Amino acid sequence: MSKRFRVLSCLSVIALVGVILSGCGGSDNNSSSNNGTSNSSANSNTTSNSSNSSTTNTATTDDSTTTNDTATPDPNAPVEGGTLTVGTFSDIVSVNPIYINDTSSGDIENLINARLYDVDRNANLAVEPWSIAAELPQISADGKTYTVKLKNTVKWNDGQPLNADDVLFTYNTVRNPDAGAPGISAFDKIDSITKIDDYTVEFKLKQVYAPFQYSLYSSLVPAHVLKDVPVKELSKNAYGVDPTKTVTSGPWKFSEWKQGQYITLETNPNYWGDVKPHLGKIIYKIYADQNTEVQALIKGDIQMSEAIPVTSMDAVKANDKLSTILAPGPQYEYVQFNFKDENFPDKVSPFKGQKTRQAIAYALNRQGMVDNVLKGTGKLMNSPFLPGSWADPGDQAVNYAFDPEKAKSLLAEDGWVAGKDGILAKDGHRFSFELQYNAGNSRREQVAAIIQQNLKDVGIEVTPKGIDFATWIDQNITPGKFPAILLSWSLSNPDPDAESIFSSKYFPPAGQNGGWYKNESIDALWTKGQLTTDQSARADVYHQIGKEISTDLPYVFLYQYGLPQVVDQSTLHWADADKPESSLGYGYLFHAINWWSDKK
Amino acid sequence: MTEYLVRRLFQSVLVLFLISILTFAMIHAAPGGPTQVFLAPGLSPEAAKVQAHNLGLDRPVLVQYSIWLGHLVTGDLGYTFKNHIPVGDILWPTVKNTMVLMGAAWLFSLLIAIPWGIYNSTSQYGFSDQTSSFVSYIGFAMPTFWFGIILQEYFSLKHDWLPLSDMYTMGKEGNMGDLFMHLILPVSVLTLGFLASYTKYAKASMLEVLGQDYIRTARAKGLREGRVIFRHALRNALIPIITILGLDLPILVGGAALTERVFNWPGMGRLFVDMAVAREYSVLMSITLVVSVIVVVGNLVADILYAIVDPRVQLGSKGGAAR
Repeated sequence: MSKRFRVLSCLSVIALVGVILSGCGGSDNNSSSNNGTSNSSANSNTTSNSSNSSTTNTATTDDSTTTNDTATPDPNAPVEGGTLTVGTFSDIVSVNPIYINDTSSGDIENLINARLYDVDRNANLAVEPWSIAAELPQISADGKTYTVKLKNTVKWNDGQPLNADDVLFTYNTVRNPDAGAPGISAFDKIDSITKIDDYTVEFKLKQVYAPFQYSLYSSLVPAHVLKDVPVKELSKNAYGVDPTKTVTSGPWKFSEWKQGQYITLETNPNYWGDVKPHLGKIIYKIYADQNTEVQALIKGDIQMSEAIPVTSMDAVKANDKLSTILAPGPQYEYVQFNFKDENFPDKVSPFKGQKTRQAIAYALNRQGMVDNVLKGTGKLMNSPFLPGSWADPGDQAVNYAFDPEKAKSLLAEDGWVAGKDGILAKDGHRFSFELQYNAGNSRREQVAAIIQQNLKDVGIEVTPKGIDFATWIDQNITPGKFPAILLSWSLSNPDPDAESIFSSKYFPPAGQNGGWYKNESIDALWTKGQLTTDQSARADVYHQIGKEISTDLPYVFLYQYGLPQVVDQSTLHWADADKPESSLGYGYLFHAINWWSDKK
Repeated sequence: MTEYLVRRLFQSVLVLFLISILTFAMIHAAPGGPTQVFLAPGLSPEAAKVQAHNLGLDRPVLVQYSIWLGHLVTGDLGYTFKNHIPVGDILWPTVKNTMVLMGAAWLFSLLIAIPWGIYNSTSQYGFSDQTSSFVSYIGFAMPTFWFGIILQEYFSLKHDWLPLSDMYTMGKEGNMGDLFMHLILPVSVLTLGFLASYTKYAKASMLEVLGQDYIRTARAKGLREGRVIFRHALRNALIPIITILGLDLPILVGGAALTERVFNWPGMGRLFVDMAVAREYSVLMSITLVVSVIVVVGNLVADILYAIVDPRVQLGSKGGAAR
């Protein structure tokens, strides 16, 4: 049995390790780097289109109304009322946006809820026809007050108007520790929220905090349904679990959930937006086994999978009607060093020398990992900012090309001398450490083996160790008790701020700096990046961080990666402006409101 | 008989109670609790504590067990931690689905295995017997999930004869014809696995009985071979087979996890794996309990069946079933 647990736990990792971090995904560089994939062309066009997408969308709707009257259907015109069936690997937990903490629930929540603001393809905060806000937030001169104006046409699917009360209720609930909302830390900078009138809300912050803008990229819950529920009981409420009690505001509504089998969404008859969805029904089918899911794609039982294993790519490519979207997603993998001596058997961390860490970076064949393990669905990373994003330091970050000789000389400079067994030693301590990862994650298993071999070649002994995911998080990651780990961050929040994982203000248990890394210069820069709302000034700060952190290396940044999204384009269609955007969180559903399907 | 039944029932309850203590202790001894799995890593320690308290996870294990047992006695299986759904709502449909799949596979394999085994016992080393040995080897050696994938490739992908996976086509829930089509492939996979052992057992058991003196006596009396086989030999030969079936019950109930996975069958095996990863204690406890009840009851039924097929077995005052 235990083997099977591990297989599944590897799947849940992607969903569970999603810690709010930063990084904005500009599509231009990302997708163009993946030549040979279907959807990577015309990036610049898309970028310019998305800024005035409201016009594009209106045009699309007009087209569709005319098509309905014509006798011969135009193959490029949207079909109304079609069904989209999507395959997914795990069931939802709850679609209550306050408690979303896994990608499956997030997928559904994204489709059934309108958000206060949306983001465009380049992850800039945007007002779309389907956003609740009427205009971008007005930020006061001191950077501490955000005024949000809502559209006065927005309705819940039970016909009640959505207004400032819902905004206040949602944000105040998430901020309340009694609610136990996973997103609470993003809101601890809020000082007060005030209702100016029915459609205007003012957020006052305790200090200037630039990442706050993305806290407005958020769904709302209906105050009229939930306001009488005691806040401690909210997580146990049927809202988000029982479709009949889940009142939402998006283009589709939650209509059925058969646990462990499927989730059905249908068009919201009370949808208020000017742009209406083409898809009449969206079904999420849950597959326990990814191989079965791939076969279902080939057979045509499902039209889309958000992520298939790279090992199944050949089978999918052999099928003409299926196309694969290969651009890496908003997540990156890394090797993290621990600086705390007590985490090593002989009570000395071997990673304290900067040259030693740089040597490890030179010794690792990262490009080899991207080519052979990721099969091209990855891109090298040199800093914690996604390649192509506005915070990306580009060439300012040090790129450690594979160079074992350079690694050996740096290790020698740092005082490491080979012992009798060929393993390096310094002051009587052998350079030998355990590299932990979660058992069952085959990508990490393979990468750990490559790391072991690469480092053995320069005289460092690595023992890879796979641990059950829940156990690992509990015993090692959260308390910061590990020698070195292989793990990834999911950048679900598009802001580049990552203070809580790199700053010495955030040692466990209060923060996520589990490697006990301390660099005062970088600590100060993270704070500086939060204190201005001017994006170009912020970009300069993050470029500086990228330069310093890639020199000092608390992590070896390995690669940005993604899982291939597969689409049956013989039955599921979109205009180029509405294609999925891999670099965004939930980007595989980007502009789904404008998609259409030939299936009934 | 009544006294025997009462005593066995009492023993069964005791066994179930002990099993529940043991599994509760084991589940809680495993490192990593539900809060690590479903609370966000970004959640502050205070907020995590509030959540753990709301869920009663900060109480001593013994107290948690007593509460769980108290609810169980009143028929309440509890709620899931992460979304507060009654465990019964999740569990019972999967129990039913597993029963449908396993029941069909079990019945089908018995219907083939017992007659085949009997026939093979009468013509040992013949063509049929050799074939059965060959099938047994394949059944033992081939991983069930792999065989499942082969069948899917051929019958569903290459030829569109049978559905690939699931229990029903979307929108046809409850349609018997649709269920039947969906059962064919997974039942074939499971049957091959069962067939291997059951045919062997049936044959071996028959051979042993056929060598007995009373069979020779029956034949010497000039009885027709059919009467000897079915009237005299079969009833005796069935006893060890019933024992095997009783012992196989847990495999029947829990062992289909892989087949359920490959065919995306919404059953208990899949649920157990998912819930173990999520550390949903109350669901895990309930599944263990359901499986235990089935095994205990199954063994009880097997014992009672002995008495029916074998008049020599007397249940009651003289120390229970003869084994």
